[in-house]
Amino acid sequence: MTVPPARGILAYRNEAIGALLWALGLALPAVLDSSWVAVAAIFAIYAITALSEDVILGRGGMFDMGHAVYFGIGAYVTAILNTEFGWPIFATLPFAILAAAAVGALLAAPLIRLRGDYLLVATIGFNAIFVLAMQNNLAGITGGSDGLTGLDVPVLFGLPLESQSAMFWLDWVALGIVMVLMRNLDRCEFGRTLRYLKQDELAATTLGVDARAAKTLAFAVGAGLAGLAGTLFAVQLSTVSPTSFVFTESVTLFAIVIVGGKGSVPGVLLGTALMFVVPQFFRQFATYRYFAFGFAMIAVMVLRPQGLWPRRIQNE
Amino acid sequence: MSALLELRSVGISFGGLRAVDQLSFSVAEGQIVGLIGPNGAGKTTVFNLITGVYRPTNGEILWQGSRITGLRPHRVAALGIRRTFQTIRLFAEMSVFENVRAGCHLGVRQHWWQGVLQLPAQRREEAELAERTHAVLRRLQLETHANDLAVSLPYGLQRRVELARTLVGEPKLVILDEPAAGLNDAESEALNETILGVRASGITVLLVEHDMNVVMKVSDHIVVLNFGRLIAEGDAVAIRDNSAVIEAYLGREDEEAAA
Amino acid sequence: MGTFVQQVFNGLTVGGIYALIALGYTMVYGVMRLINFAHGDLCILGAFIGLTLLSGAAGSGHPGVALLLLAFVLAIAVVAAAGVLLEFVAYRPLRRADRLAAVVSALGASVLIENGIMIVWGPNVHVFPSGLLPETVWHVAGAAITFVQVLIILASVVLMAALYVFVHHTKFGTAIRAAAIDQDTARLMGINVNRVIVTVFVVGPALGAIGGLFVGVYYREAYFTMGWVYGLYAFIAAILGGIGNIPGAMLGGVLLGLFNAFAAGYISSSWQDAITFALLIGILLVRPTGLLGERVAEKV
Repeated sequence: MTVPPARGILAYRNEAIGALLWALGLALPAVLDSSWVAVAAIFAIYAITALSEDVILGRGGMFDMGHAVYFGIGAYVTAILNTEFGWPIFATLPFAILAAAAVGALLAAPLIRLRGDYLLVATIGFNAIFVLAMQNNLAGITGGSDGLTGLDVPVLFGLPLESQSAMFWLDWVALGIVMVLMRNLDRCEFGRTLRYLKQDELAATTLGVDARAAKTLAFAVGAGLAGLAGTLFAVQLSTVSPTSFVFTESVTLFAIVIVGGKGSVPGVLLGTALMFVVPQFFRQFATYRYFAFGFAMIAVMVLRPQGLWPRRIQNE
Repeated sequence: MSALLELRSVGISFGGLRAVDQLSFSVAEGQIVGLIGPNGAGKTTVFNLITGVYRPTNGEILWQGSRITGLRPHRVAALGIRRTFQTIRLFAEMSVFENVRAGCHLGVRQHWWQGVLQLPAQRREEAELAERTHAVLRRLQLETHANDLAVSLPYGLQRRVELARTLVGEPKLVILDEPAAGLNDAESEALNETILGVRASGITVLLVEHDMNVVMKVSDHIVVLNFGRLIAEGDAVAIRDNSAVIEAYLGREDEEAAA
Repeated sequence: MGTFVQQVFNGLTVGGIYALIALGYTMVYGVMRLINFAHGDLCILGAFIGLTLLSGAAGSGHPGVALLLLAFVLAIAVVAAAGVLLEFVAYRPLRRADRLAAVVSALGASVLIENGIMIVWGPNVHVFPSGLLPETVWHVAGAAITFVQVLIILASVVLMAALYVFVHHTKFGTAIRAAAIDQDTARLMGINVNRVIVTVFVVGPALGAIGGLFVGVYYREAYFTMGWVYGLYAFIAAILGGIGNIPGAMLGGVLLGLFNAFAAGYISSSWQDAITFALLIGILLVRPTGLLGERVAEKV
């Protein structure tokens, strides 16, 4: 079996198609009504979150089933700094990213020596604790079960991003940037290091890979990107409450990566579309919607255990 | 000649089993040292102790005179020690090129954010890494397989890929765990040449091998292990005539008579 | 003193229920290395089936205990059948696939069953009928102990003892333990691993259905998302004892039940769950294989 040579025409073609689709996406507000533009905006936000989960789960091979925590930290940091301290939204963004990344690294440091399922269980536990802490109005600034409301409209270079279309463009540009970063991740030593560890940790460490450092960094990077998505989410809803970050949200993010295809950008985007956008079309069948959803999860896994659009083996 | 690597009364137990016991030997710089012994003598365990996969229960391991006992594997690798595995451990979803490039890891200077942002310095380094990798592939005649999935290659070639992965990191000491296992005569003959070539390039070699042809031909010094203990050491001629070694491999004559 | 004894009995009751449900997680994990995320929902399916029968018969003058027995038999039968079907459809095709595929399939099964229950029984909280069981209350050392508590504790002990004897003292139990250690070797030794797995998916959900029905009888309510709540607790119990380890699940269940009872007695209830999860993480960090689990070394 021969692997396609490095930087083949195929790789460029896929990137060109991706870029084209993204550019076409910018025109969505012209063809959709405002409620569907909101769906598209939230798709972009969830896609960033799912891609960030993919850094940890798909690329790092670490079973993180508490990813909603980092998403939530980003959203809460923005909401708290904005509503309680009056910071402009964009000023909160770096702190949202850094806070989420720091928590990711701090939680990961002791946890990464846990293997597979034990890590999964521990992250479920952290998710539960996070939600309870937010509900119990930790330090009196998280707003309890109702959360925080009344976030400001983000202002970019003096231009308020007031309309749903403007917010969509913000999210869409962020998604585009994250997609480029994910592509670059495939082409650098950090991304490769994660693949070495995932495919054979012992061999990797005897080549000098510091497993703990690389895994902690993967957690920090994945969590930081989720923090970015959290800020966008808080802006989109202009409210933040614990229910958006419960354990089932983490399960959905986990499933998106596996159903779509681990380590595959198009796969994760497809997974996000299926698990998030498609159910929007079936809102009137609310009762049967999640029943069908569960059935689809089983069906996809049984028929395509490697995911719908798996990562191709290729030189990068 | 100074000792590059030295083991001083190293021992390890698994449960009640004393896998390696009071083992002392040293590897001089520039030598090829063969570690032999019957099955279950603890040879691979010795490798795992040296490379930090296991932590010894007692004793000391010295590298260029300083203690390295209990260092984690990646720290041991950073000293310039690389190894292969008895059961080949290549990255299953990667090409030969990618597998070998993995051996460059410790020499990589780029920071993760430089890579994620694809800054020019990082791109230059990527080109250098590719060049270093191709140089080693050419040296081991693997160039034509560069884009093949490593694990799809025949056994002998996979062993060579694993060797290439250790060499690309420019190590001081290479530890080879049964490099001739599964090779045919012609291949193991070629392996002899390769191992001698490795030494000629200034790299010290420590190898475990069952194939006596390989061990006797290439080793400057041979260490014999049985039941985790050192039973003899010396050059090929001395080992061949050593009665304790013959006994360990063939059993005692009175035992055979009884059987 | 009265509070203490009261909490011990409350804890043992809940602990018995956790243990019954935890056994299903641990048996499946032991044999298949799979967290059966749908297990909690299967157990609650048992509660709903029992509820339907009991509500239909309430007030019809039938003796409560006989009716309750019938409810148990029916719940066990349906849930065990569902367990076997689940294994056949969602897990068997994925035995040789990436483990994460099976995890997601299990999560899908959980969503499916949970929402299936909602479609059939609706999204509201159902109240279990009263008057089916004697309302006897014993007063022991200042604590009030109800008939239901005694029933649950006794039944849990008997069922767990029976399972222990089955797994450790019968030929088929030995086959289960062998398959848990190494499926391939077990197969070479002539053990029908498929039969072992099917058995595990009968016994686990059957015990779970009893646990689920006990939840309903004890708390007098049932709602469709209850599978997650009690499933998660039982799952923590299984981890606590050492997942894959049957006596461990029993021990973990009882310890967690007692812990919860005392935490509820002395700690603010809004932080109780957080403390339980912190305990779980603490255990994982200090002793990832649980109290009775064995350490597994990686072969190099």
